[in-house]
Amino acid sequence: MSLVQQLARTAATMAKGHLVTLRELFRKPMTIHYPDEPVPHPVGFRSIPVLKVNEESGKLNCTACGLCARSCPPAIIFVESFIGEDGRRKQWPAKFDLDLSRCMVCNLCVEACPFDALEMSEDAELSAYTIEDLYFTMDELAALWKTSRSVRIAGGQKV
Amino acid sequence: MKGVGAVAEHPKLQGVYSPEEAAQAAREGTVEPLTINLGPQHPSTHGVLRVITTLDGETVLKADPDIGYLHRNWEKIVESWHYPQIVPFSDRNDYLSAIFNEWLVCRAVEEAMGIELTERAQVLRTVFAELNRLVSHQMWFGTYAMDIGAFTPFLYALRDREWAYDLFEKATGARQLYAYFRIGGLRNDVSDAWVQELRDYLDYFEREAYPAYMDLLYNNEIFRVRSEGVGVVPKEVAIAYGASGPMLRASGVRHDIRRVERYGVYDRCDFDIPVGKNGDNLDRATVRMKEMIESIKIIRQCLDMLPEGEVFSPKTPRVIKVPEGDWYVRVESPRGEIGLWLVSTGGLQPYRMKWRAPSFVNLQLLNYMTRGEKIADLIASLGTIDIILGEVDR
Repeated sequence: MSLVQQLARTAATMAKGHLVTLRELFRKPMTIHYPDEPVPHPVGFRSIPVLKVNEESGKLNCTACGLCARSCPPAIIFVESFIGEDGRRKQWPAKFDLDLSRCMVCNLCVEACPFDALEMSEDAELSAYTIEDLYFTMDELAALWKTSRSVRIAGGQKV
Repeated sequence: MKGVGAVAEHPKLQGVYSPEEAAQAAREGTVEPLTINLGPQHPSTHGVLRVITTLDGETVLKADPDIGYLHRNWEKIVESWHYPQIVPFSDRNDYLSAIFNEWLVCRAVEEAMGIELTERAQVLRTVFAELNRLVSHQMWFGTYAMDIGAFTPFLYALRDREWAYDLFEKATGARQLYAYFRIGGLRNDVSDAWVQELRDYLDYFEREAYPAYMDLLYNNEIFRVRSEGVGVVPKEVAIAYGASGPMLRASGVRHDIRRVERYGVYDRCDFDIPVGKNGDNLDRATVRMKEMIESIKIIRQCLDMLPEGEVFSPKTPRVIKVPEGDWYVRVESPRGEIGLWLVSTGGLQPYRMKWRAPSFVNLQLLNYMTRGEKIADLIASLGTIDIILGEVDR
């Protein structure tokens, strides 16, 4: 191929490429100005496991069985059952902490829970300045459940 | 200069330096090899890769990849984890095509335990894998264009990737690290509306995005001249280095795990395996561009044959216990053959899991490909290897 031919081909293909970008000029821009404009999440978006509150009794569904803690790959869920005055274990947690800084958001804890006590929240705006702020306690997780949309997706339902 | 003589014996440097020339140049001091670090914090190294380059002017004498900056000790950590827990962690290996990692771990355990998947799960797994291959190749297209100095295609690639990621988000709940496959099937099913949207996306991609990619970059004369004959890997060398995936196929070897092994529903799908001829950058680009179309073909066929039913095998035991023995399974990922060697002594945890990362193997070829070429072509060649540092370092 001679130099002239090559130059001609370069010019032609460049023009074709510019046509593509020119077409874009007449289209709606797809940019979303995120912090100002909200970005909707689909149902089932995973952000943080939160504790479900029973709407009738106002208490947590959690029975502190510890299955979620055992299923957690990085072992970041810390559960302790409530010990009553009689010295016996009660069916509710005294402590349910979650270290979000190490969470893989894999949904395994939600799937492991047999009491429908854990759900995945879609509240993704949880960033903090220190790692300590990403350590969520029981009450914080219950409060997150109340303020955000949470679902439990496990066991093959259609999404 | 020390080392120049050895470098000159390399076949690709014939004509650049003969051994006599190199020796003479070293004596006279006219050649001054300069060692320069490329990376680890360099945008064109696709992550945290450090390439120790020895240059003479602009000519690369030696390119030595230094890896390990993203090492997470995957193989050792999973030895203390239960099998279902390994699946989401394997996502982090090849983070641009996470589905393939999950599929590999699930396949290894399913094969070891003899779990039969339901038909719908098999088809959906293939759909998700091919969609992920499409997305991964789009990302490669964008970054490769950036590597050779074209910025616009990158924005187009990311724009089209967004819709695909929305589809993933709807089905799996995450955009990149899906944690979607489970040993014995899938975590959840997809609705008919999702299937319809996927069809819309494929139509959009094939009709609008793909021709735009071709016009923007692939058919461009500058791109072709820039890529042709650069970073040549002959057939024998590619085989000798153990390259796989588009890297191997671009050199003219028709080898694809989707055809070699029986998994998913690939044996029922009609698709081609694109191969190149010369093994240069242009061939690797061609193979990947054609693979996008093949992926779309496979997804369409899978959606047509998608049966109703469960996505989770009802025969899966609640406790995953793998019998004693060892298995090697492999999956064709966008980057090549990912292999998993699973050694079990019986019980809940693996004794050993060896991860064969295709990027890790393909990256070795960088030194061979770039010797005697210009430093700008080193970046381009690195782009066509399509490395993922999460997988290289594991």
